[in-house]
Amino acid sequence: MIPLYREKDNLIYKLHPFTIAFFIFAIFFLSLIFTHPVYLLSLLAVVFILIVDSGNFKEWKGYLKIAIPLVLIIIIINALFVRVGSTVIYSGPRLPFIGKVRITLEALAYGAGMGVRLMTIISIFCFYTYTVQPDRFMKLFSRFGNKTVFIVTLSIRLFPLMISDYRRIMEVQRCRGVKIDSGGFRNRIKNTFPIVSVLLLSSLERSFQQAESMYARGYGSGKRTVYNRELWRIRDYMIITMTVIAIIAGVASYIKGFGTYSYYPVLTHFDISEFNLLYIVITALIFPAILDWGWKKWPILKLKI
Amino acid sequence: MADIKIENLNYSYPETGKKALNGINLTIPQGQFVLIVGGSGSGKSTLIRSIAGLVPDFYGGTCSGKVEIDNVEIDKIERRKLVQKVGMVFQDPESQLVMTDAEQEIAFGLENLELPNNIMKRRIMEVTSALSLSGYKTSFIPELSGGQKQKVALASVLAMQPDILLLDEPTSQLDPIAGEEILTMVRRLNEENGITIILTEQKLERCFHFADRIIAMDKGEIIKDCTDVSNIANWAVRENKPFIPPLSKLFANINYPKIPVTVKEGREFLKNEFFLEEIESQEINTYENKEVHDDLPEGRPIIDIENLWFTYPNGSEILKNIDLKIKLNTFTVIMGENGSGKTTLLKNLNCLLKPARGHIRILGQDTKIITVEELSSMVAYLSQDPNDYLFLPTVREEVNFTLNNLGLKDDGIVDEILSKLGIEKFANSNPRDLSTGERQRVALASVLVTKPRLLLLDEPTRGLDYQLKENLGEILLNLRDEGTTILMIAHDVEFAAEYSDDIILMDDGGIVEKGSKYELLSNSTFYSPQISRLFHNYRRNIVTLKQGEEVLTMLKKA
Repeated sequence: MIPLYREKDNLIYKLHPFTIAFFIFAIFFLSLIFTHPVYLLSLLAVVFILIVDSGNFKEWKGYLKIAIPLVLIIIIINALFVRVGSTVIYSGPRLPFIGKVRITLEALAYGAGMGVRLMTIISIFCFYTYTVQPDRFMKLFSRFGNKTVFIVTLSIRLFPLMISDYRRIMEVQRCRGVKIDSGGFRNRIKNTFPIVSVLLLSSLERSFQQAESMYARGYGSGKRTVYNRELWRIRDYMIITMTVIAIIAGVASYIKGFGTYSYYPVLTHFDISEFNLLYIVITALIFPAILDWGWKKWPILKLKI
Repeated sequence: MADIKIENLNYSYPETGKKALNGINLTIPQGQFVLIVGGSGSGKSTLIRSIAGLVPDFYGGTCSGKVEIDNVEIDKIERRKLVQKVGMVFQDPESQLVMTDAEQEIAFGLENLELPNNIMKRRIMEVTSALSLSGYKTSFIPELSGGQKQKVALASVLAMQPDILLLDEPTSQLDPIAGEEILTMVRRLNEENGITIILTEQKLERCFHFADRIIAMDKGEIIKDCTDVSNIANWAVRENKPFIPPLSKLFANINYPKIPVTVKEGREFLKNEFFLEEIESQEINTYENKEVHDDLPEGRPIIDIENLWFTYPNGSEILKNIDLKIKLNTFTVIMGENGSGKTTLLKNLNCLLKPARGHIRILGQDTKIITVEELSSMVAYLSQDPNDYLFLPTVREEVNFTLNNLGLKDDGIVDEILSKLGIEKFANSNPRDLSTGERQRVALASVLVTKPRLLLLDEPTRGLDYQLKENLGEILLNLRDEGTTILMIAHDVEFAAEYSDDIILMDDGGIVEKGSKYELLSNSTFYSPQISRLFHNYRRNIVTLKQGEEVLTMLKKA
C-alpha cells in the first residue's frame, strides 16, 4: 500500500516501473528454480545488497520479525517429519503423530535450504513494497484489464482516507463515552461497532459522490486510453539487459543441473566448477546496486544515463 | 459557443414526492458569469446538476421540461460530447478525486475521452501551469491541503476544455484564504477565456463583484434574477433571505433606502450621508491602552492551562508554552491559520491527547489522571463533520446512545434537548436523511445530553448558510446562559464577532493574544468583521450588528 512507499534519493527509485518489476520477477523466478544452497544464499545476498543500497535496511529488519520464525518453523517441521536422509544425528523417543523422532542431517539441510528460499522471497517482497509505487506498477498492466487497475488505484487512494476517517470517528465516539481500550476482547469488538458503522455509512455516501464526479468526467462513456508519463532511460535498458543475462545464465545452470542440488539420501559434495554460471548471475543481478554506487560517486553518470 | 436554455424544468429526486426544481425557465448566453445564491435546500445544486445532465441521468427521479445547450436538448447529446462542453466542480474536494496523484487525476477525464497520450500531456501541461499546480503534480493526493485538492479538481475539469464550468459551492469546505484563491482563478477563466461560469454560493458577498448576473433561489424556484447587486441585496434583506451579509443587513434593519454590499460602499455612505468624521488613529491607540483591564477570573476558572507543551510522536511540536484561564459561563472563540495548533489544543482539553509538559485542569480536575470516557460527561466535543456521529436508525436512539454509554438514565432530558435544538419533530427520523444543518444539531444533541459544563466545538460554522449560522449562534448563546462554557474554533470572523465574548488568536502553537472581542476584533485589518471595518476610524469598538444599528439609528435621528 502506498503509505509505505517513500521516494528516496537513489537510482532504484528513478527507474521505469517495468525495469524494477522485471528485476523483481527475475529474482523471484530464479529463487524458485534453484535448489542449490549456495545459489540460494547468493540470491539472498543479492537481495540484501539491493535493500541496503536502496536505503530500506530498517524496513527490512521489520520483516525479519516474521521471516525468521517462519524459517525456523520450516526447518523444525522438515527435520521432524522427513525421514529420507541417511545421516542420523539424533534419535529420540516415540512421539504421537510423528512416530519415532529421527533427525537427519539431510533433512535439516533441506529445511535450511528452503528457509533461505523463503527468506529470499520475503525479502524481495519487502523490496517491492518499499521501492515500487503501486499505481505506477499497476499502470503497466492497464492495457490488459483497465477496470481492475482502476479499482486497485481507487483503493490505494481511499486506504489512507479511511484510516484517517477511522481515527477521527474513534475520537468522536470516545468523547461520547464509547470505551475502546478497556474491557475484555468481546467488549472491545462490540465497542468498535459504532465506529465501523459510521465508517461504512460515510464511505458509502462518499463513494456515491465519487461516482458522480467520475460520471461527470465521462467515465464509462466508452473505451478509454491510458495516460503514460513514464520515460525510458539508458539505465533502464542497461538493467534490463543485465537481468536478461542473469535469467539466461540461471536457466542454463538449471538445465545443466548446476543450480539444483539433491539433499537426499546423502548430502553430496559440490564442485567449484558448478559456480561458473552463478558468478554471472550474481554480477548481473547486483548490477543495479553497482550502477547506483557509480551514480553517486561520479555525477557525470547521472547526466549520461 | 454554448448557450444554455432551460424551459419549464420540473424535477423531483427518486423516493421523495417533493419537487426539487419547480418550473425553471432560464437562458444563459455563452461567457456569462452567473452566481446562484440560496440557502441550503433551495434547489441551487439541483439546478446546476441539471445543466450537467447529472439530473436526471445520474440521479434518476422524475423530470419534465427541457434543458438545451446550443439549441440541442442535452439528453440528445452523446455523453462524451456533453462532458466536453460542461464541466462540474463539486463541493467537497475529498470526495471528487479518485486517483492517487494530481497528474493522474487530471489525466483521468482525458483518458475517458480516449485522447492520445501526446494530447493528454499537452493539456496537463497547460492546465497545471495555469493553475500553478506544477509544484505538486506527483504528490500523493491525500497529503495535499483542502485548497490544493480543490485546485486539482478544478484542473481535472478544465483539462477537458469545457465551454461551461459549473461550480457547486466550491469554497464552502475551504478556509477563507484557499477559498479566495479558487474564486480568483474562476474569475480569470471567465474574463480571459470567456468560459461560462455558473457558481452556487450560500453567501452573496463572496463573489458577487465578479458576477454578471445573480440568481436567487428558494424552494426549487428562481425567485429573483437580476444583474444589479444592490437591487438583489435590497430585495433580499426585505424578504429576509439567508444569503445576505451582515453589512447589508445592518442597513436594511435601520430601513435605510440604499443597501451597500461592500465595506467600501458602506463607508462611503457613512462619510457622505451620515457625515461621520474620521478619528485620528493615534487617539485610538491611546484610548486602547487605557482600556486594557486585567480580567482576573472571578472564582474558579473552568479551564486552567498551565505551561502546556505538546509534541506529536513524529517530533512536530504543535503547542508551545500555553497559559490560559477560561472563566465559567463564557463563550470563547479560538482563531488562527490552519496548522496553528487550534485543534490540538482542543483535543488536549477533552483528554484525547495528554499534555507532554504542563498541566490542564478542568474544574480543578487534572486531565493527566482521567480518561476521555470519564471526562465525557463533563466536557462535550463536537467535531467538524456531524456525519462522524450518526449511525443509528433514529435521532432519539442516537441521542440515547451517549446516555447509555455513560450509564445515565433518560429522565426526560432527551426530549428536553431535542426541543431545545428544534429537532423534536425528527425524533423518529433517520439522522442520515436530514440536511447538513439538521444533522449538525442531532450531533450536538448527542453530546449535550450529558449536560456538560464545557462544550468544545471544532469549526461548526463550516458549510452553513447565514440562517443556519444564526440558529446555531442562538443555540450556543442559550447554552451559555444556562451555564455551559463554550470554547470553539472558527475561521468565521463574522460569527465570532456576533456571538462570542472573548477571542483567542493562535499562531505557530502559541497564544498570540486573548481578550474581549470588542478590543480584539475592532482593531485588526484581517481578523475583523464587516461591521468593525465599516466603522473603522469612525467609531471605536463596534463589533456586533446591534451596536452598528444603535449608532446608525442615533445618527439617522440627528
